[in-house]
Amino acid sequence: MEVKEALKIIDEQWIRKPEGFRVHFQKLVDVDIITDYVPGTDEELLDSDVVAWRLAWKLSQISNKANDDEDIMFYNIYVVDDLGEPVDFYATGQPKIFNPRKE
Amino acid sequence: MEDNLLKVNQMTGFVLKYGQEVILALLILVVGLILANLVKKFSRQWLGKMTSNRTLISSVTNILYVLILFFVVGAALQQTGINTLVIRRILIGTTLIFVTLIIIFRHYIPTLPYKVGNTIKTGELLGKVEAMSLINTRIRTFDGNTIYVPNNKVLNDYFINYHVTPDRRIKVDVAIRYDQDLLKAKQILEILMISDPRTLSTPRPVVWVLNLEDSYVKLGARAWVENLKYWKTQCELFEKIKLRFDYEGIEFAFPQRDVHFYHGAKPFGQPDNIESEMMEMA
Repeated sequence: MEVKEALKIIDEQWIRKPEGFRVHFQKLVDVDIITDYVPGTDEELLDSDVVAWRLAWKLSQISNKANDDEDIMFYNIYVVDDLGEPVDFYATGQPKIFNPRKE
Repeated sequence: MEDNLLKVNQMTGFVLKYGQEVILALLILVVGLILANLVKKFSRQWLGKMTSNRTLISSVTNILYVLILFFVVGAALQQTGINTLVIRRILIGTTLIFVTLIIIFRHYIPTLPYKVGNTIKTGELLGKVEAMSLINTRIRTFDGNTIYVPNNKVLNDYFINYHVTPDRRIKVDVAIRYDQDLLKAKQILEILMISDPRTLSTPRPVVWVLNLEDSYVKLGARAWVENLKYWKTQCELFEKIKLRFDYEGIEFAFPQRDVHFYHGAKPFGQPDNIESEMMEMA
């Protein structure tokens, strides 16, 4: 096997380089749980996971001060990549969810 | 006295004969100059909406300005009754010769090696080129200062143009203690660089053991990114490395010395009869 082929397999199977990041969150609208993303699915992705996780943290901070205001109560806040797969928190290399709430 | 009267009469006659034409010509010149400036201003605004290429905008508006000026001066001269045909021919001929010389010798004409919009570092000054003239270059630093740098000062010293190459290499050196897991540290550094979408796949991010220093092992993480994303990517990489190393239990090195105390036992290397040897030396 050539080195090029081996490196290609490694790139595909070991660590995937994402094309960007979004912040996934859910909110309660009446009785429905709506899933949304920041930036939106039709907008350009964030190129930094640090920025994305920081945004996720800020959304969780808002939710902590929501006081039952449903409009700004966000749950299950975490960062996803361009394929929608959850991204590990960069500080720990482990999955992290802000404001977890089971459906 | 009579000579002076004659001269005055001649001047009066001249003014009466040609005064109207001269005044009209001056009027044409003034109106033409105002018109040329207005056209330059509006064309700059209009082109600015169509393209962000400032050099192109500047060139087009300047050419327009010169052309309008050319016609205005020609019309003014025509109004005075001067035959402009010869002047126009000389001007056209001169322009053609000038343009031909520029085309032939353009490679030898000294130019500033940067354009408007480039980020350059000259001496201690780092900023973006906002405008260029024959005498100086206007640079805006990233903290908002606008500085006019004489062109000869730039050309007489080395400077860096960050726009010549599209990519730039990130350099992050990390020092870890000798008792830390070197392979784990290398792996973490490599994962952090590869998983960042801004780092390029070619050349691949790499981690080197740069040196075995007195009290630490020096690791060097290298990755290539686009010029525009360099600073932010490097800063975030520093942050990620610090947090991940803390989480994984890899300790950074800091300057230190080991001090050994011997209670009663003879230190290694000290001879048995050190006291008698010291007496002999004295």
